[in-house]
Amino acid sequence: MPSFTPVVFYRDPMAALKWLERAFGFETSLLVTDDKGRVGHAEMSFGDGHIGVGEEWGAAELIGPAKMRSPASLDNVGTQFTRVALEDGIDQHCARAEAAGARITQRPADQFYGARVYRALDPEGHVWCFDQKISDLSLADMEKASGLTMKTSL
Amino acid sequence: MDVPPISPLIFYRDPKAALAFLERAFGFETRLLVDDGQGGVIHSESAFEGHVVMVSGPPSGKWASPLDLDGKRTGSVHVQVPAGLDALCGRARAAGARIEREPADQPYGDRVFTCLDPEGHSWSFGQTLQVMSADEMAKTTGRVIQEKL
Repeated sequence: MPSFTPVVFYRDPMAALKWLERAFGFETSLLVTDDKGRVGHAEMSFGDGHIGVGEEWGAAELIGPAKMRSPASLDNVGTQFTRVALEDGIDQHCARAEAAGARITQRPADQFYGARVYRALDPEGHVWCFDQKISDLSLADMEKASGLTMKTSL
Repeated sequence: MDVPPISPLIFYRDPKAALAFLERAFGFETRLLVDDGQGGVIHSESAFEGHVVMVSGPPSGKWASPLDLDGKRTGSVHVQVPAGLDALCGRARAAGARIEREPADQPYGDRVFTCLDPEGHSWSFGQTLQVMSADEMAKTTGRVIQEKL
């Protein structure tokens, strides 16, 4: 079964795993540590989805050396973010994340493309975007609602 | 369109070139493209067997391409394929991917290669050769392997 796993890098991946469990309800499914307790690689699952968690300098094992950084090491700049689909309960999910210390940068709100969305920053500045489908829209519906042009190929 | 449960959104200076590269190099297919009318991409989805990466750019504010950061990046994407890993690496190389690690068998039971795309985003590809238990992996890797925190 092919799958895409976004991998995110942290200064303190062990703290990140704990925080992601508490704040978002992700579950650690694989944790690889060396004899000093340093995280070599970790995987978390959430429903049918997966993410990878690595240490910013120590991620060489799976991914390659030296260029991986936490946003905390780059003045909160990021090169990618992670989108997570929720079945239901997005407002409660946001409240739970906020209670755990997430900075909510966009409160849950309905979007023209038929989803309710919120965005949060984790303690090291990674952006997480959660969405929950609220209506089934065709591309034509979305184009009408937004004034944008949507194509289905390059 | 079905949306997978978790997917990455990646920023590129030239998102259309990136989408074309992902098609040529990895065999992904662009299935949604929302143009900003000025050469940029507000949102897009590049799909591979039901999974997607989203591509957007050029980045602004707190977003950047690795090109803007001397190659540094805050994430990467791992793709697990059912078969054909070596051929995929050959295809990626021919399309201009910079192969960082050539396909090689790993002690945890996968064969893996890693590469950089033209803007320096990192991709790893794996194919499972042998499904291993945590205990077996611990033995072959010399690491401590846990299946929960």
